Amino acid sequence: MSSRTQSHAKELERAYGDGECIVEEGDHSRDMFVIQSGRVRITKRVGEREVELATLERGDFFGEMSLLESLPRDASAHALGETQLLVISAGSLLVRMRRDPTFAFEMLHRLSGRVRLLNARLVGLLDERADPLLYLPEAAEAGQK
Amino acid sequence: MIIEAEVDRLLVVSDLHIGNPFSEASGSLGSFLDHARRERYHLCINGDGLDILQTSFANLANDTVRIVERIRALLASGLKVFYVVGNHDIVLEHYFEGFSEIRICPFLNLRAGARRIRIEHGHLYDPLFVKHPRLYDALTRAAGPLLHVYPDVYRVWSSYEKLKGRVNQRFREQEPSAYHEAAEMLLRRGFDAVVFGHTHRAELLELLPGKTYVNSGNWMHGGTYVEITNGEIGLHRWGGEAPTR
Repeated sequence: MSSRTQSHAKELERAYGDGECIVEEGDHSRDMFVIQSGRVRITKRVGEREVELATLERGDFFGEMSLLESLPRDASAHALGETQLLVISAGSLLVRMRRDPTFAFEMLHRLSGRVRLLNARLVGLLDERADPLLYLPEAAEAGQK
Repeated sequence: MIIEAEVDRLLVVSDLHIGNPFSEASGSLGSFLDHARRERYHLCINGDGLDILQTSFANLANDTVRIVERIRALLASGLKVFYVVGNHDIVLEHYFEGFSEIRICPFLNLRAGARRIRIEHGHLYDPLFVKHPRLYDALTRAAGPLLHVYPDVYRVWSSYEKLKGRVNQRFREQEPSAYHEAAEMLLRRGFDAVVFGHTHRAELLELLPGKTYVNSGNWMHGGTYVEITNGEIGLHRWGGEAPTR
């Protein structure tokens, strides 16, 4: 069972045991998390299967999509080993960004990395499944000429 | 933009203020850089390496010649050089990027051994810099010509900062230092240690159990540096040849 302690600037710290569920896909919780110690496994249901999306380490964060967009959890997160998390709500995120501005920079840096990765995967998928002329307008124009 | 790095041996210096008439760096930094190269330490200049606000380009160019040679020698020997931008050298960010081998960073999240260490200049937590950026800039620039006419201005400022530090420390339980408070927020994000510069006040203390805050001090009147070896952190004063502790 997780335990809670009050942290700096009204942020919570929570401890999880090995395998314990932190958030479940489809949950309506809105907090985001920073890993203070331990590791976290992120998984997503694809049909009947559960696919591992990432294993996050100390200093990594997750759960920001639900916090920023107020949408249900897109994936599940489970602790790998004893894990301590910093829990950040929308209100405390603003306070942290004001007092720890590099956190905002790090968030943008990682989100930018994820967009780049997803773009690369998308291009890879399109390359496999379709003629490039179908999805690249410039290439289509060049082909017509 | 680089913000992550992994090295086991790193020396951190800050607030060299090369070009400033009061900087001791142009004299003694050369032997320190030679020491880094001999002992196979990578180098991190944690902000305010060059002083663009309080000097002329001629002074800066003159004072940097021998240091640039030493830094080139470090790079040529396969060592890495990180430059974390401070408030006195923000405008040089793009200039430095031209020297592609020097890694320019807004801050650095370092993995050394099993430890995670944040290296950051620290000006973002200076209450005057944050609340009154124009006043801060004007005061800093105004002090430039004064330093040429009356260099003891730096000593006056330095004494004032020390006094302010003592007063803050005395009433710390009521009001923690802005830098300690900022470092504590970073330490709660999974860092084992935080290295700041900017204040010119070298210090090393345990802010949270097992978690360290260290300030690399300055080379205007001190010559202090932080040594990171496999995650172990020490604060030293450069004495010319061997480190004095």
